[in-house]
Amino acid sequence: MEKQPHLLLWKAVFVLIMIGLGFGIYAGSKSIDYTWRWERIPQYIINTEATTVRSPFDGTATIEKGNKLVVTSDYGDDPLVIKKFDNLLVNNGDLVFEGDPLVEVENWNIGPLTWGLVMTLQLSVVSLVFAVVIGLFAGLARISTNPALRYLSVTYIELIRGTPLLVQIFIFYFFIGTVLDLDRFTAGVAALSVFTGAYIAEIVRSGIQSISPGQMEAARSLGMNYVQAMVNVILPQAFKRTLPPMAGQFINLIKDSSLVSVISITDLTKAGREVVSSTFAPFEVWFAVALMYLVLTGALSWAIQRLEKRLSASD
Amino acid sequence: MTNMTDKSIIQARNIEKIYPNGCHALKNVSLDINRGEVVVIIGPSGSGKSTFLRTLNQLETISDGTIHIDEVSLTDRKTNINKVREEVGMVFQSFNLFPHKTALGNVALSPIKVKKKPRAVAEQEGRELLKKVGLAERMNNYPSHLSGGQQQRVAIARALAMHPKIMLFDEPTSALDPEMVGEVLDVMKSLASDGMTMVVVTHEMGFAREVADRVVFMEEGELVFEESPERFFSSDNPRLQRFLGQVL
Ligand SMILES: Nc1ncnc2c1ncn2[C@@H]1O[C@H](COP(=O)(O)OP(=O)(O)OP(=O)(O)O)[C@@H](O)[C@H]1O
Ligand SMILES: [Mg+2]
Repeated sequence: MEKQPHLLLWKAVFVLIMIGLGFGIYAGSKSIDYTWRWERIPQYIINTEATTVRSPFDGTATIEKGNKLVVTSDYGDDPLVIKKFDNLLVNNGDLVFEGDPLVEVENWNIGPLTWGLVMTLQLSVVSLVFAVVIGLFAGLARISTNPALRYLSVTYIELIRGTPLLVQIFIFYFFIGTVLDLDRFTAGVAALSVFTGAYIAEIVRSGIQSISPGQMEAARSLGMNYVQAMVNVILPQAFKRTLPPMAGQFINLIKDSSLVSVISITDLTKAGREVVSSTFAPFEVWFAVALMYLVLTGALSWAIQRLEKRLSASD
Repeated sequence: MTNMTDKSIIQARNIEKIYPNGCHALKNVSLDINRGEVVVIIGPSGSGKSTFLRTLNQLETISDGTIHIDEVSLTDRKTNINKVREEVGMVFQSFNLFPHKTALGNVALSPIKVKKKPRAVAEQEGRELLKKVGLAERMNNYPSHLSGGQQQRVAIARALAMHPKIMLFDEPTSALDPEMVGEVLDVMKSLASDGMTMVVVTHEMGFAREVADRVVFMEEGELVFEESPERFFSSDNPRLQRFLGQVL
């Protein structure tokens, strides 16, 4: 009970700091005379585009009940019927000539930022699947009793963790990509999965080693072979234990995927750059891009937290 | 095969075990165990009791000597050790239950995965085994929601689910609070009276006296002495006397 007022106080402090930060951004943009044009952003996420439907022949427009536009041709062509439109540009009984605008139809269009988001999502999901497979096998090889497997795994992990991802992406695209004739997307996915796989391998290794050796002994003493013991006893426990670091790694993967924009994959970051050059509203665009990344990573951490809760039934 | 008595289900001959770190844990240990026999192994800490027990299901390999389980040589490279282990159940001091499985899940796992039994059959058998060890009410509990004594009884049921011919116990009651020792020993006693072949490492002298057909004393990697319980506990072997003086 005694702690209550302090808690409230510190929550208030937090809110004040956040307000202060917001004000700082506002004041900062004021001081450089920046005009915020947030209204320019939504159209790059999703927009409606009006297309005008024009008359294909000379004729008479009639509006029938149910808001249906019918144009009957003067020369006996089949009548044109338009059932759905957003703006009517002719009146009932008007004479229309070929090429006259009849109605406007609005189409929903996905904007470049959303396409970027979809690309980022695709890159991340595909790379994630491969990274988990690579990481699982490299992690198992890392603790194998076979020296060849062990050294291979150590070499892989050290090589990947010792070089920057950006450099790896260039190597994958320009060297391996050229040798194996890979397209951009494949090269990007390969670089991201190989990179993330090395980190997952370490997570897998430490996860497996954190399970007491007695578990393996119990499983083997029941007649399970090594693979059965791994699959049924060790990995399920290790999986649960490695979820938090895995979540971090998955989130890193989503963020790291922004680096593939250097090989001209139009992911969210590259889309952002393109939109900046057509809107001249860099602040808004980058804030919007950041927010879209946050939506992805936030959804992922939420999903993993749900999974953790579900798995904690046996605790 | 001619020199094997048809009664011995375990034949360990001249076992040597040297750990990779150079520790000489077993020195020329030989022991034959008959079908249905209950053998209790006692000895001071570090005398090689666990090591010996673990060589019998090859959780430890041996450096020299031979082991036959039901006439199958464990040192023969052609022997499928997983098949042998199906016949040799083991119960550990620290239970080693699978924490991500319920009691029933623990018991049914190996029959399903190794013996390829249909889940329903394995679970039906599992329920009966858990009933037998007095845990009918606790089948769906996870190990973390069971007491030590209950966990160890699940572990016994789990080993029995593979229908082993031999059960190995490595200090099954040493990690238990005193009030739970009895419930586990009771299960082991009923197992012995069902005719199970058992090798038990324990400090429970009462159990040794009451249930064992033979008691074996180990010290510093050697099998010093083996006798029937009556003769064992009245022996005047000086090394045994020294040890019994310490524990009793
Ligand atoms: N994995 C291992 N590596 C190296 N040395 C070991 C290993 N396991 C046991 N030892 C050594 O082998 C000897 C016998 O150990 P063991 O565990 O068999 O003794 P024990 O009789 O079971 O003792 P306790 O009553 O304490 O369980 C000890 O000296 C021990 O230090
Ligand atoms: Mg021991």
